[in-house]
Amino acid sequence: MIRTENVTKYFNRNKPDELVAVRDVSFEINKGDFAVFKGPSGSGKTTLLSLIGCMSRPTSGRVIVGDRDVSRLPERFMTEVRRNTFGFIFQQFNLIRGVTVCDNVMLPLFPTDIKPSELRKRTENTLDNLNMLRRKDFLVQKLSGGEQQRTAIARALINNPDIILADEPTAHLDTHLSEEFLSMMKKLQEQEKTIIIATHDPLVYEKEYVNLVIEMRDGMVRQITRKG
Amino acid sequence: MSINRHFNILDYTLQSLLRRKFKNIGIIIVFTFVIFITGSVLLLSYSFKKEAMLMLKNSPELIIQKTMAGRHELIPVGISSEIMKIPGVSKVEPRYWGYYYDSLIKANYTILASGESLSANNRLLKGRLPGINENNTAAIGRGVSEARFLNTDSSISMQTAGGRPMDFWITGIFEADSELLTSDLIVISRADFMKLFGIPEQMATDLAVTVSNETETVVIAKKILSQFPDTRPILRSEIIRTYDAVFGWRSGLILTLFSGALIAFIILAWDKATGLSAEEKQEIGILKAIGWETSDVLEMKFWEGLVISLTSFLIGIILAYIHIFFFGASIFAPALKGWSVIYPNFKLAPYIDFYQISILMSLTIVPYIASTIIPSWKASITEPDIVMRG
Repeated sequence: MIRTENVTKYFNRNKPDELVAVRDVSFEINKGDFAVFKGPSGSGKTTLLSLIGCMSRPTSGRVIVGDRDVSRLPERFMTEVRRNTFGFIFQQFNLIRGVTVCDNVMLPLFPTDIKPSELRKRTENTLDNLNMLRRKDFLVQKLSGGEQQRTAIARALINNPDIILADEPTAHLDTHLSEEFLSMMKKLQEQEKTIIIATHDPLVYEKEYVNLVIEMRDGMVRQITRKG
Repeated sequence: MSINRHFNILDYTLQSLLRRKFKNIGIIIVFTFVIFITGSVLLLSYSFKKEAMLMLKNSPELIIQKTMAGRHELIPVGISSEIMKIPGVSKVEPRYWGYYYDSLIKANYTILASGESLSANNRLLKGRLPGINENNTAAIGRGVSEARFLNTDSSISMQTAGGRPMDFWITGIFEADSELLTSDLIVISRADFMKLFGIPEQMATDLAVTVSNETETVVIAKKILSQFPDTRPILRSEIIRTYDAVFGWRSGLILTLFSGALIAFIILAWDKATGLSAEEKQEIGILKAIGWETSDVLEMKFWEGLVISLTSFLIGIILAYIHIFFFGASIFAPALKGWSVIYPNFKLAPYIDFYQISILMSLTIVPYIASTIIPSWKASITEPDIVMRG
């Protein structure tokens, strides 16, 4: 489902502060996998996640999502793939402050042709599934950390994506909330969604249902472990 | 493409504006103030010009003044019969007018002798005009009436050129609608006029020449000038041009005085054009990351700029309209109105030059929207990954 072929990503190419974030990375993730990019800070996990998620382009190599090479797509098509295929959960949640839970969740679908009433209905269903409906009119900054994360998850799910990408999702959560988050991801995997998490938290990559661990260091893949 | 997409983006834009309400209210206040000032100047000067044009519409095509050493002199009435002989001239009428300084209220009055040319003003009068031969009577403007607390059953005293007092019983007061013309006006009989200013018989201030065919006015003026080289023919079109230049100059003066506000607005627009706050950049990054296209972000910023600038523009123009046409341009009318110390307290007819308004609109709304869109465009064409990393 997702394949990278010799992917390299430079930042600030040919400048004094040039940085190779990812170097010659190749791997494959199948539909329904629960995959983890494991590694310390600066190992290239987030960059890899953004390359897969069509948020940036590789300097060289190919990223294939489904049967489509997304590494050289024009911006408009990359956005389309991003919107229709992926749901993102960011480390800092990246919710928009001053906006209600409901509107934050609706954000990915605002620039679509869906009617406002239908949009609201769909959002409320998603929030209900995450037990967040009672908070729908709250401003996001008034929520607890766990609630903010559930809002971020709802936003990631609103477009019914096939692939969920999460960057260090448990970094700001206590053990209880981390477990809660992981069980939600597990449920999504059971619904045949592909889960990809970048983390250095053992609580995540040691879970028995994580079936693919890609270990990163210094921008390179050190080891790929596939269970089952 | 369905309208829903635009509606959804507009909906989100309005929420975004409310989120930063203090900042946006600040921008709206500055923007509105700039539009209010500029709009007031434009509306006022245009209405003045328009009023002046209408006023001059009934004035003679040609006025003949005598000059001496380059200065305006009294003109002998006797030359009227010579001018009448010029083909194309249908009527020559002497005019008697001058200025009187009232040291009591430190103001100048415009004194006019009652005559045929004033008959059109009768409808503007409460009471009546003094008769041509009715001595020691006067009709006064509202400005004079208010400054000297005078009414139709009272009298006004002036001093003749010889220093003797002269009383005038008031027969009428010009009404408010005509104040631009009549605020500082006093109309008296011709005989009283001559006596008050010590003007010799057979002399007049100037001559009003009526021409049968308006297109021949310039030719007739040239003939008069060649026959009477010490005269100065003044064409109505020249007066109109002068009015235009004077009000144009005065508008420019006002705008210069308020250039501080304009500069503040330009700085504001420049500040917006040169960068986005970290929070705004991050928001664009988030929107891009979750599936907004660059065009969606730009549409949002377009709505944002349009809502702020259009709201400010409409409020500014409405306030300017109220200021000019309901409150008589109380803020800066003294700089734009007449020369007299008795400023007319009149209501202008609401003339609007839509061309000027649309120019003002395009010079304020378009740059503001551009200053909103350009930095957002810079941020939104960057990979969302980079934007989000800061």
